Amino acid sequence: MNDMDNDDAACELVQEYALDAPPEKVWRALSIPELRAQWLPGTEHAEPLSEVPQQALSLRLREAEPPFLESTVDLKISPAADGGTLLRIVHVLTDARAQTAREAANDGGFLMYAT
Amino acid sequence: MPENDIFKALADPTRRSIFEKLAAGSMHASALREGKEISQSAMSQHLAVLRNAGLVSEQRQGRFVHYEVDPEGLALIAGWLAKYRAYWPQRVDALKGLLKDMDQ
Repeated sequence: MNDMDNDDAACELVQEYALDAPPEKVWRALSIPELRAQWLPGTEHAEPLSEVPQQALSLRLREAEPPFLESTVDLKISPAADGGTLLRIVHVLTDARAQTAREAANDGGFLMYAT
Repeated sequence: MPENDIFKALADPTRRSIFEKLAAGSMHASALREGKEISQSAMSQHLAVLRNAGLVSEQRQGRFVHYEVDPEGLALIAGWLAKYRAYWPQRVDALKGLLKDMDQ
């Protein structure tokens, strides 16, 4: 889905949340720009990098303040057993400056899971 | 690199805000204190923690000591991770609030 810059050395945050609302409703909150802007400000004009209706949305983010780091975020939803929704957020730092830092460090980079 | 030191240093909201301010450009300690209710000694302690974690470096220029984040450094990545590890739970809380307010 996102094949750019997403190699083994990716600097990424992976988080999962359980939401107390059905997937169809969560999908609207993710995919309709006016609704999305209410919980994820700054993304109302973001053109999705990719979109799988009712399942996944990928956005490019650029910080509004220095150091203006660029990243991509994948938002994936799936039905939960209780009728709610599981939201999986994979946020990858794609900024060229971070790539440089990782190469300079010459190690596997960071991989961090936070739940 | 002492990763634990880095995350511990950035777990504190005040230090994270200092670090983010420095990420925008180097400055001296008194400029860092502008707009913050923080004593000079507290600022010195925060800067020492950040320095010991390898997140910021200091340079003496005349009477002033300037602090900076290496823009090419791993500090940039550590700062990014710390920032968004705190960011997403807040955004998801906002999403939960929105879902409550939305019609079915």
